[in-house]
Amino acid sequence: MMEGEVVSGLVKQLVLRIFPSRSKSAEDGAGSHGEVVDDVVERAHKYAMRIIGSRIVPSLANDEAAMAESVKRQLVLEGRSSDALTFADLHRRFSSLSGAGSIENRWSVLYLLKAISEDQRREPSETRGIAGPLTSTISRPAALGGLAALPDSPVKARLSNGVSDSVYAPKRAQRSANLQKGYASEQESLAPGGMLLLSKDAENLKAAALREYVELNQEFSEVTEMALVRDVVYACQGIDGRYIKFDKEIDGYKVNDNLKLPKATKVLIRRLCEVGWLYRRVKEHITESLEQGPMEVIGTVGQAFCAALQEELSDYYRLMAVLEAQLHNPIPFMSTVEGAKGAGNYLSLRRLWVWLAEPLVRMRLMAVLVDDCKSLRGGAMAGAIHMHAQHGDPLVRGFMGSLLRRVCSPLFEMVRKWVLEGEIDDLYGEFFVVPQPVKAEALWREGYQLQTGMLPSFIPEPLAQRILRTGKSINFLRVCCEDQGWATAAADALAAAGTPAGGGGIGYGETETLEALVVEAAARIDRHLIRIIYDQYKFREHCLAIKRYLLLGQGDFIQYLMDLVGPDLSQPANTVSSFKLAGLLESAVRSSNAQYDDSDVLDRLRVRMMPHNEGDRGWDVFSLEYNARDPLTTIFTEFVMARYLRIFNFLWRLRCVDHALSATWQTMKPNCSIARLWASIDGGTKSQLAAVMRRCQTLRNEMNHFVTNLQYYIMFEVLEHSWANFLDEMEEAHDLDELIVAHERYLSSIVEKALLGERSQLLCKTLFTLFDLILRFRGLADRLYENAREVQTRGEIAARRKVKELQASVPYNTGFRKLPTVQLTKELLASMGEEMDVIAAEYSSLLEGFFAQLPVQQHVDLKFLSFRLDFSEFYTRQHMGTSTMHIKLKRTPKF
Amino acid sequence: MDGAGLQKARESLDIVYLISNLLNTGLDRQTLSILVALCEHGVNPEALAAVVKELRREAAALNRGGNGQSS
Repeated sequence: MMEGEVVSGLVKQLVLRIFPSRSKSAEDGAGSHGEVVDDVVERAHKYAMRIIGSRIVPSLANDEAAMAESVKRQLVLEGRSSDALTFADLHRRFSSLSGAGSIENRWSVLYLLKAISEDQRREPSETRGIAGPLTSTISRPAALGGLAALPDSPVKARLSNGVSDSVYAPKRAQRSANLQKGYASEQESLAPGGMLLLSKDAENLKAAALREYVELNQEFSEVTEMALVRDVVYACQGIDGRYIKFDKEIDGYKVNDNLKLPKATKVLIRRLCEVGWLYRRVKEHITESLEQGPMEVIGTVGQAFCAALQEELSDYYRLMAVLEAQLHNPIPFMSTVEGAKGAGNYLSLRRLWVWLAEPLVRMRLMAVLVDDCKSLRGGAMAGAIHMHAQHGDPLVRGFMGSLLRRVCSPLFEMVRKWVLEGEIDDLYGEFFVVPQPVKAEALWREGYQLQTGMLPSFIPEPLAQRILRTGKSINFLRVCCEDQGWATAAADALAAAGTPAGGGGIGYGETETLEALVVEAAARIDRHLIRIIYDQYKFREHCLAIKRYLLLGQGDFIQYLMDLVGPDLSQPANTVSSFKLAGLLESAVRSSNAQYDDSDVLDRLRVRMMPHNEGDRGWDVFSLEYNARDPLTTIFTEFVMARYLRIFNFLWRLRCVDHALSATWQTMKPNCSIARLWASIDGGTKSQLAAVMRRCQTLRNEMNHFVTNLQYYIMFEVLEHSWANFLDEMEEAHDLDELIVAHERYLSSIVEKALLGERSQLLCKTLFTLFDLILRFRGLADRLYENAREVQTRGEIAARRKVKELQASVPYNTGFRKLPTVQLTKELLASMGEEMDVIAAEYSSLLEGFFAQLPVQQHVDLKFLSFRLDFSEFYTRQHMGTSTMHIKLKRTPKF
Repeated sequence: MDGAGLQKARESLDIVYLISNLLNTGLDRQTLSILVALCEHGVNPEALAAVVKELRREAAALNRGGNGQSS
């Protein structure tokens, strides 16, 4: 009760304050008028106490911030932005005060001030006697609590004429109050002093009639529109109202079935509640992803998406707060007059529909996005939103644009970081570049891959490739080349592209800026990388070294090597020691011009023994290997080296055959031992020997022609030509990828032209058989000449012995020994002649096959080979007359 | 009430007065302090605003009436 007394006292003071002049005169106690004033003050006090007592609990939620916001908005709406700012400042100071002596109930104070201020504002119009806006279709529902007591109040008692005797059923109370208001507007401003201000102009009559109509309309419904509007506003915020509740079964908001409402109202409510339904979806998604979902599933882009949605929603909340404030704003005052005036501020369902039209569109868009992007992450999500942004409606486009700007910011930050620093800041696998766990040498080729699923559609594929390569180059420089210079290159690129160094200045919709940045960064970093590869790692020198050693470009070295390792390689493969070969390689280097080469290059040259099978010779397994160390292994991968190895093996074999034929020539060339043998033998054997030898010579010549020309072709038409092309391409290569491609092209052109490619497998096989045949021939020729020489030597020895015998007259049966030798030679010659025929026949048929297959090859350069081999068209003619040739071939050895 | 508390109370009231002026409520300091006190006692501001308004209207009517009488 103490509290009540204090309040009462305060109210009394208040009344006295507001009636200052009268109270003064009351204090004077001068005349009867003073008593009247006393009486008035007393009544006013009672009245005030009743009003206060009628509503203890505020009808609004106690929210200071919202109140302050509403005041601010009001000020802004009136066009007093500077005042709004001042107010904001004052409010900040106001709320910062706390502790003893400060005001606790700040909200109340603010509310009070606002209400009074609004009343003040309305004052002028009131005195002019203008009715509330006619557009308002809602009648002002009566005050929530204090109305029943109203007619009892002294003021009211004087006011109410015929109305007070109307039925006071609770439901009717509203209506009566409304009716009262209707009359009140007619009567206008009824002063307690008993004065009536009547204004029966046409406008007021019209207003009254309208109100009457609204009243009648409300007869139908059991619930006021006000309550419905409040419920709709609640529903739009996902809260169940009194009449409108969310129904899980139909998945939507629904008006209570028991409520009798006109169909139109129901439809309107249903439409309005769509906003609420959409809001629920969006909100659900946000809470699900931000609170429950694991971070890995959502990712930063998803998070940004949620944040953007949240921001949109907070805009929406703001609107809803305003609407709600509007809903409660005109406090239902006791006075009917004010009530009628305030009616203009009330929200009707239709007004709400207008208010919510734009939020509905936005909310719909958000809900669509939420549905579309639920399962997507990262770049894919950004891409999906981008697809929605391709819309003709500028509103939709603008909305999506602003949303995308926020959604894409983590993505663009990733791109920036990747392009300029080579770092992937992607914890949740959202970036379209994906690192693979690989070793350093495979970093370039396999280290990073483009994940097309995560590539948002607003970044075109070539740009993405470029982005990928730029970051890859940085990583390559950092990891494989241990180079730091890229940082300055990146900084230069940043400066050139004109974007600020600190923040990620690129956002959605600025693809050109992004492209410019990427292009700049790519160009600089690639240039730097290429320079590093050329200068620091001497790519060109190594390529040349490989050409010289692995592709047998260094002729003298190869010659020495072959001479040195030849004897060893004739052994079975399993007895060949690679250590010994390494030593021989060393000495070959030392004895040739290769010794002047860079020691770094020579260090990398190794002997390699390939895995061998039973019965393989050393020739089959021997190969040279070049060890291109780390950063260069990106270009000289194992696969590439295997191709080099194949080429080397082929060339080595070719050289080996050539070498063999040359060696045979050394024994076959006419010399004195043969000449002496010639002299020593007689008759049939002599002519037979001559025929075999002749055959041998022609065959060797033929083979030599073939091998020499083939070798010439390989060395000059293939190797040098490709090398020259490669050098040109190397000059033009702007980045590592181009360099790799150029090298690849170089290598495959060699492989193609050297008949090692896929398409010329058959030809290559023929060629290798030919080589085998030539080696067989060499064996045969060697045997023939060895035998011949043996015979000759033996003859000589025998002759010498004979001389000795004669001299020493020691009986020695030399004649017996000599005879079988000659005979042996005869049989031998016959068998050798036959063998040579076989080889010759096989050779010519193989060669014929080779020539037949040669034009089948697509490569234009092979034409040169066939022309070179058959420039006199000898083989072509032979091919034409195969049968005659056979006879000719058969005929020669027959003796 | 100690000095600091008094100081703070005055400051608060000053701010409220400024806001009140900003909003054109037409209340003087004295009235404002009474109203703030009422608010602090937990009176519903809605009702309080109504009271102020009613009283003002009464006062205006009274004045007018008085003037009418006197004239």
